[in-house]
Amino acid sequence: MLLITKIYTMNTLIRIYLKDLLRNKYTTMMVILVPILLYPMLYWGITQFLMVKSGLTDNQEINLSLDIRSEKFSSIKDSIATIHNFSITETSNENFNKDGIYLIVTEVDSLPYYTVHLDSTNSIQKQFFGKLEGKLSDYYDLQLGGRIDASAYDNEYFDTFWIDKHNIDGEYETMTKILSMIIPLMSIITIIAGIGTGAVELTAGHTEDKTTETTLTTSLSRKKIIMAKLIATNIYGLIAGILNFTFLTFVILQIINTLMMQFAGKSFDFDWSLIFNIKVILITFLSLSIMSHMMSLIFVAAAGFATKRKEGNILITPFFMAFMMMSYVVIIPAIEPSLVISMVPVLNIAMMIKLLLVNDLQLVFFAESVLFSIVWMFLLYKLLLPFMLEEEIILGNSNTSLIKQIKGRFAKWKKK
Amino acid sequence: MEEKIVIKNLTKEFYDEQRGTVKAVNNLSFTAYAGEIFGLLGPNGAGKTTTLRMMATLMKPNEGTISINGFDTAQNAQNVRKSMGFLSASTALYPRLSPREIITYFANLNGYPEENTKERVEELIKHFDITKYADTLSEKLSTGMKQITSIARTIVHDPPVLILDEPSSGLDVIVAQKIHEHIVDLKNQGKTIIFSSHNMGEVEKVCDRIGVINNGKLLTTGTLNELREITGKYYMEEIFIYLVQEYESVKQKKIETSND
Repeated sequence: MLLITKIYTMNTLIRIYLKDLLRNKYTTMMVILVPILLYPMLYWGITQFLMVKSGLTDNQEINLSLDIRSEKFSSIKDSIATIHNFSITETSNENFNKDGIYLIVTEVDSLPYYTVHLDSTNSIQKQFFGKLEGKLSDYYDLQLGGRIDASAYDNEYFDTFWIDKHNIDGEYETMTKILSMIIPLMSIITIIAGIGTGAVELTAGHTEDKTTETTLTTSLSRKKIIMAKLIATNIYGLIAGILNFTFLTFVILQIINTLMMQFAGKSFDFDWSLIFNIKVILITFLSLSIMSHMMSLIFVAAAGFATKRKEGNILITPFFMAFMMMSYVVIIPAIEPSLVISMVPVLNIAMMIKLLLVNDLQLVFFAESVLFSIVWMFLLYKLLLPFMLEEEIILGNSNTSLIKQIKGRFAKWKKK
Repeated sequence: MEEKIVIKNLTKEFYDEQRGTVKAVNNLSFTAYAGEIFGLLGPNGAGKTTTLRMMATLMKPNEGTISINGFDTAQNAQNVRKSMGFLSASTALYPRLSPREIITYFANLNGYPEENTKERVEELIKHFDITKYADTLSEKLSTGMKQITSIARTIVHDPPVLILDEPSSGLDVIVAQKIHEHIVDLKNQGKTIIFSSHNMGEVEKVCDRIGVINNGKLLTTGTLNELREITGKYYMEEIFIYLVQEYESVKQKKIETSND
């Protein structure tokens, strides 16, 4: 009975806080509008990022499977071999894989016709392809010269050079790759925005409005009140994250569809089950919930030191920036899941979602990430909760005994 | 008479960067009885709010004890909070909730029986004449409406002790008058009320006994007539100025009177 009463009062408090937050036009506008303004910028940034060709190192090698189907053009191998660091294997098995480039040379109208299979999202392959394209063009011109000499046709008649380029990944996979970079990043950013706004409103805002004081005089314990603030902040952040995540996915797919219609003349039918399946949704939601609870703890503690909303916003800004930077790391292709990544809060969850979306189920990494996030949460509870419960913090006077001690020690050190 | 509030040797210190450790409340003691309004009168910064906050278990005293409705604030804070209603100096309402929602929520938070909550809320809305604006968001209400809602919120769980920190501060005369009437009405229902104010007139009008506080020290306590007798002054304002200026001599006079 006592437990039911406790849960009931806690629920009442969470409902008050959520109602108060959701009815606040300004906070809700901030949480929804800010990411909406960010989307176009982010989309532009990511497109630019994908187009950037990374620099190659001297010892970087790439495999080229060469499938020459016309004896006439067997000398093309020597021409390609002049490209530095190309490891050429002659083959005819049509084994297309992401590890290298597969080139088929056939004969059309006595001239070479090239078909290239490569991973277009791999910037190194794209850079090698640039060099390969040059060689293929030169070889074509050479053959074309011979053909012109051997016939009475006009030069203009043969002025065609054609490479049929195929992307090994396919549209869906490329799309999932792009979304797997954007979704963790955006969902984390919007969750941070939601949590930040919620935390400031429920701590500094309530101190400013004096509502914390009146709530503290009810029969609820301080711990329960702080926990209700944490949970309400967490829920608000998740609501903001989910709303923005859904909206963003639709916006991006719409943009891509428009681009495809414009340039390829066909519409893009995205297989939603790649992202919206129970496994992805459940694991993503669980991991984001753990992460957002940890963030709520930090933001509520930081904003708790403020007596006004303005101060609260200033106090949470460094944490906001730090978490945002961490989530940005996932869009760097070279970053691979590792034990170190699993230890870094926020980044571990972002990486986990990224892997989930490309169906790369690295269960050990997932387990490590969840475990370390829980450890972080536990440590933060131990460290921050006593602070948050101090009367001078909870009532909006940050001169706590601990801060006094630190100040005292600093003053002594200064005297020395 | 039943002792509802007993405060003994209460002291609260704060740390201030410029002034170092400051005693906001210094060795303060008084008793309030069932069915009386005890006024704490003092200028801004005298220590009234700090004293009330300690009584409401919002702060812990550095020294001294507080007992409310038989419960010690240090030992049994939860029962103390159940026994009292606290009205802070500002209206302290959730701006985006309506008076009806606020009163209901506070009834729930204070553990008022769920089955009777609706009836109790409606009774208070009717009693305090809140009906017209009961469903308007409190951010849109006037200060007077907010303060009346705050009082209703404070008493919703029907506590025997009420702590009211400057309840009519910033209100116009008509609303202040209305609030005074409500406070007297609550006293007639048998509640013990601690009423803090820096307004001499309202203390004179509303309170049964008065404690004059300055610089964290309780200068004296007594009924208005007793204070008049001790100081030889008639109006509360004169009494207060006299007490602040002649604190030591009054203290001596009081000791002599009690010895006689």
